[in-house]
Formats: sequence, C-alpha cells, structure tokens
Amino acid sequence: MIIESKLAPIRKGLLEFLVLKIVGARSVYVPDILRRLAGTEFATQEGTLYPLLSKLRREDLVQYDWQESDAGPPRKYYRLTDAGRTQLAALDDYWNRINRTIADMGH
Amino acid sequence: MQRISVTVRLNRSTLQFDDAAYGRLETYLAESASLLEGDPDPQEILSDLEQAVADQCTRRLRTDQAVVTLAELVPALEEIGSVQTSAASVAPDQTTRGTARPLQQVSEGAVISGVCMGLARYFGLNVTALRIFAVLLLLLSGGGVILVYFALMLLFPYAPLESGGQPLRWLPAKSRAFTEFLAQKFSLASSPTRPEAQKPRHP
Repeated sequence: MIIESKLAPIRKGLLEFLVLKIVGARSVYVPDILRRLAGTEFATQEGTLYPLLSKLRREDLVQYDWQESDAGPPRKYYRLTDAGRTQLAALDDYWNRINRTIADMGH
Repeated sequence: MQRISVTVRLNRSTLQFDDAAYGRLETYLAESASLLEGDPDPQEILSDLEQAVADQCTRRLRTDQAVVTLAELVPALEEIGSVQTSAASVAPDQTTRGTARPLQQVSEGAVISGVCMGLARYFGLNVTALRIFAVLLLLLSGGGVILVYFALMLLFPYAPLESGGQPLRWLPAKSRAFTEFLAQKFSLASSPTRPEAQKPRHP
C-alpha cells in the first residue's frame, strides 16, 4: 500500500505514455482503452481518459474518426498522428534509458 | 397527475430519465463542467462524458425498461468516475499545495530582517508594494507596527540563504551592519540609549 502511494505520481504521469502506446498499436475507442488498462496498475476511468485524450488531440498527438457501430450511435476511434508516433518513439526510448539507469544503479 | 420521465439528449443519444435520476445527472454534469474550468476545450470532454453516460445507462437498462432510474445511473456514474484533468495540468498545482513554503524571513535582500520579503513570497505579493504599505501603516498606527514587526521577526523561522550559508540567528539580517553603523557614528562601543539597536539583541 505504501509502495503504491509512493509511486502514484509516476503512475499518473505514465498514463499518457500508456495511452499513446495503446492508441499506437491499433485504432481504438475509449472502452477498448479502458479494457486494456483494467486489471493493470494503470486501471482508469472515462472521467480521467476523456480529458487526457482531449489534451493529446490538442497537442496534435492523436486524432479520431467517427465509425458507425452496429448498436447505438457512431463511435470515436482514436489513432496516432505522425507527431504522436514520433513522440511515442521518443518516450519509449527515454523509458528504456530510465529502466537501464535504475537497473544499473547500486551495482 | 404525475410527471413520469424527462427526455434527455446526451450528445448523440436520447434517453428517458425519471426525476431523481435526472437531478443526479444534472449535478454530475455541472460538477464536471466546474472541474473542467480552465480547460481549453471543455465542450468536447463534456460531450464525450454525456455519451459515456448514455452508453453506460443503455447497457444497464433491462430490455423491457424504457426509463433510466438511479439504479442504473448511480453505478454508471461510478464506473465513469469524476473528471480528473490530465496529469500535466494537475501536477504543478499539487506540488505547490503539497509543499507550500512556510512563512519565513528572507535575509537576502532584506531591509530590516526580511519579514516583508517572507510575507511577499508567501502570499505572492510585490515586496516593494508591501513595504510601502508597511511604512504607511507605521505612520498611521503611530509605531504599533514596530511591535508587530518584531513579533513576526521572532516568530518566523529563517529561510536558508540562497548562498547556502546559515542566516544570523535571533538577529535581524541587517542588525550587524546597523550596529556597526551606530558604533561608528557615535564612536562608542556601547550605545544603551539606542533601543533600536538593543532590542533585537536576544541571546
């Protein structure tokens, strides 16, 4: 429990990175993202995700298309823009460097 | 006669809500709107949330049920959760609140002991304006402010020096220069008639 709360800000900051990863893998709509994160340390809710996606769209990292669904109204499917892809690659790279630093520290 | 339900348009869906559920929904959306104050594009997020509420409620309705009640709405809202603005915009706010600077006296750049500097820093005020205000208050109060100043000077802890050194303890930052100045002026080691110079000399 203590460990969890110590790393809470880190998890919060990493959520954006993970959402970019999920959206980068294939075009998804919000319930897909929630399902992908459910059960992980990063489980989240629509109330958190929509503001985040709105921010990412403003930063031109993701964009969405409307797609008809067989039940109910059309859905917003999100995908990465070129800028989003570039940033995801940079984040991935940085994250790997951090991991190496942490692994090497203390030896 | 009794009103049975309200028809609500939620983004791209239309649903029937009973009165209690409608009231709860209004509260949720109003709360969300106020949490999104300052967001550059709250309308988009609110439309998305409306759609989420509609989808969640539709999923929870029984096939023979037309009207959404609290029994569907409450768990739906729980699953959606309240609006959390993105990490980037939340983080700086939290750090300033979490580690609020204490009231301190700031020796560097102080006129007397740095009480005004400390107050200005704590409340985010312009230090010059605050000093002018303090002098005005001094003139108007007929000197009472001096006591307040010394009280605050004794109460406020000393901010660590930017240069990394230890600040003077129990002495106003400028007192060393001031006593030296007095000593020079009267060419005397002791000046017991000068309370200004004596007062801060606590052990």
